[in-house]
Amino acid sequence: MKSKAVEIENFTKKFGDFTAVDNLNLDIYENEVFGLLGPNGSGKTTTLLTIATVYKPTSGDIYVYGHSVTREDYVVRKLVGIAFQDPKAMWIDKPYELLTWHARIVGYSSSEAKKVVQDVMELLGLWEHRNKQFYQLSGGTRKKVELAKVLIQKPRVAILDEPTAQVDVLSKHALWDVIKKLRDEGTTVIIATNDMFEAEKVCERIAIIYKGKLRALGTISELKDSIPSGDLVEVQFEGGGIPEGLLRALRDIGRVEARSSVLKVYVEKGEEKVIDIIELFRRYNVKILRIMVKEPTLDDVFTYITGAKLREES
Amino acid sequence: MRNPSFTSNIRSILLVASWDLMKLKNQKVFLAMRVAWFTLQVLVFARAISFIVSQSILEYTGGVDYYYFYLLGIYTSLIYSTSISRGYVIADEFDDGIVEYHLSLPIKRGVFAVGRVLGSSLSTIIFTLPMMIVVYVILGVSNLFSIIVSLISALVFSIGVVSFVLLLVFSVKSTDLTDILVGAIDALLVRLSTVFYPLPVIEASGIAPYYVIALMNPISNLADFLRILVFPEYYMVFKYGVAPIVVYMVAFSMGLLVLAVEYYERKLEAGGWK
Repeated sequence: MKSKAVEIENFTKKFGDFTAVDNLNLDIYENEVFGLLGPNGSGKTTTLLTIATVYKPTSGDIYVYGHSVTREDYVVRKLVGIAFQDPKAMWIDKPYELLTWHARIVGYSSSEAKKVVQDVMELLGLWEHRNKQFYQLSGGTRKKVELAKVLIQKPRVAILDEPTAQVDVLSKHALWDVIKKLRDEGTTVIIATNDMFEAEKVCERIAIIYKGKLRALGTISELKDSIPSGDLVEVQFEGGGIPEGLLRALRDIGRVEARSSVLKVYVEKGEEKVIDIIELFRRYNVKILRIMVKEPTLDDVFTYITGAKLREES
Repeated sequence: MRNPSFTSNIRSILLVASWDLMKLKNQKVFLAMRVAWFTLQVLVFARAISFIVSQSILEYTGGVDYYYFYLLGIYTSLIYSTSISRGYVIADEFDDGIVEYHLSLPIKRGVFAVGRVLGSSLSTIIFTLPMMIVVYVILGVSNLFSIIVSLISALVFSIGVVSFVLLLVFSVKSTDLTDILVGAIDALLVRLSTVFYPLPVIEASGIAPYYVIALMNPISNLADFLRILVFPEYYMVFKYGVAPIVVYMVAFSMGLLVLAVEYYERKLEAGGWK
């Protein structure tokens, strides 16, 4: 059985009359990359900041390796490292100074701090920017400085709040590799994102949060399979028409849309049903020219679960 | 045997304090401007005002020339305003969300708060050191004991002021409101002190509340303590001696430090700042 790194129990956070997170219950397992997916204002950041003890729960509690964020906040902070959504630095600050101070604060000696900061800055391509002031850095470079703090700290639980927002496409792929490496080295990684591609690329399990409530939880394939007839099997066949018997048989498998020589069948678990569909075409002697299975995207999952479009909401 | 937790806390306090000292390095131009302006103030304008009042005031200053009286007053007000400005730096940091970063660091909240206050106070002392040198050179002070005690008392005072401004910043969570409140307090506190006017003069003015506020004002207490330290004859001005001044300054600073730490430790969380 997987051990739990973070347990969120009946967690509610209110700001005045506004409920940012409403009775959230969630377990995050040790050594997984877990994604919190939701539009801006859905409660992702509030949840992450409470895990990092920056906010206090209004009710309920959160445990990090069994330690309560309300009663043992100092112990929790020793286990958790966070890269914030907005880089935390003043315009006048210099990355090297900031990261060296951070390294000292998280426990490195002076000489160790210099070495680890240089290693991490080189890994993230920050070394050439080390003595620039923050206002001279691009948005993506500032985000990398934020991520560098976590890589320096090597916490047991790393919280990354929209880690690749404002980062260029090439760097995104490199950062995803860095995140996976962090996981491989034993860190549990929690990522908040509204980038579905990022969530699919790096997360093993995902929680969809919308308007402060947990709407869905599971692996990416579990979430996709949760949409009834969410998979699409698209068949391009030879000839202009399709036998009535084949059409009837296909309708027993899923919803069918036929158009000239292309047929679309909406099914559950498309990767299994495609075999039955091929067999039916063979039985009715209709030659298949091309066949493909399309899974729903996480955006489709989000729309199905919340009734809203993630991109529009964000 | 040394308590490892105590050692660890001291290390953390010093590391947190280095945050403010690190930032100080980036203020060289600002510091040079302040030193230039301060030197101009004490060498030119202070002489002019002292010329007007120096003869008539000697009976109220225990024989200390008003120019010298003024120099230690203006230095005290500089320590006060620089300590307050450290609070502005912290308010600006919080405005930019850096409070969230600090709250997430693996350090006990109380230890962090002490480190922040100490760092800001040390920055204040370092920042005002050139101005202190200007004043002490003009005054001809070369007694090492006086200089060291002056620095320690300035540090203790600064700890109190920084703690106060931290409490204010944490409580109001608004840079604009902090500006207004600090501006108002600053205007009142400096004027209602003995920075420019000797306590016996204020007493003789016959406005009782003014006298009481000036007597209880921490700025007055530091200014007068520094004057006694440099000019022992100024001691004659005080009815109750120097001990109440020392006790008051330590109580003021430690009391506010404890309150600031308590607030940081128990109540402070991010959010609601912007």
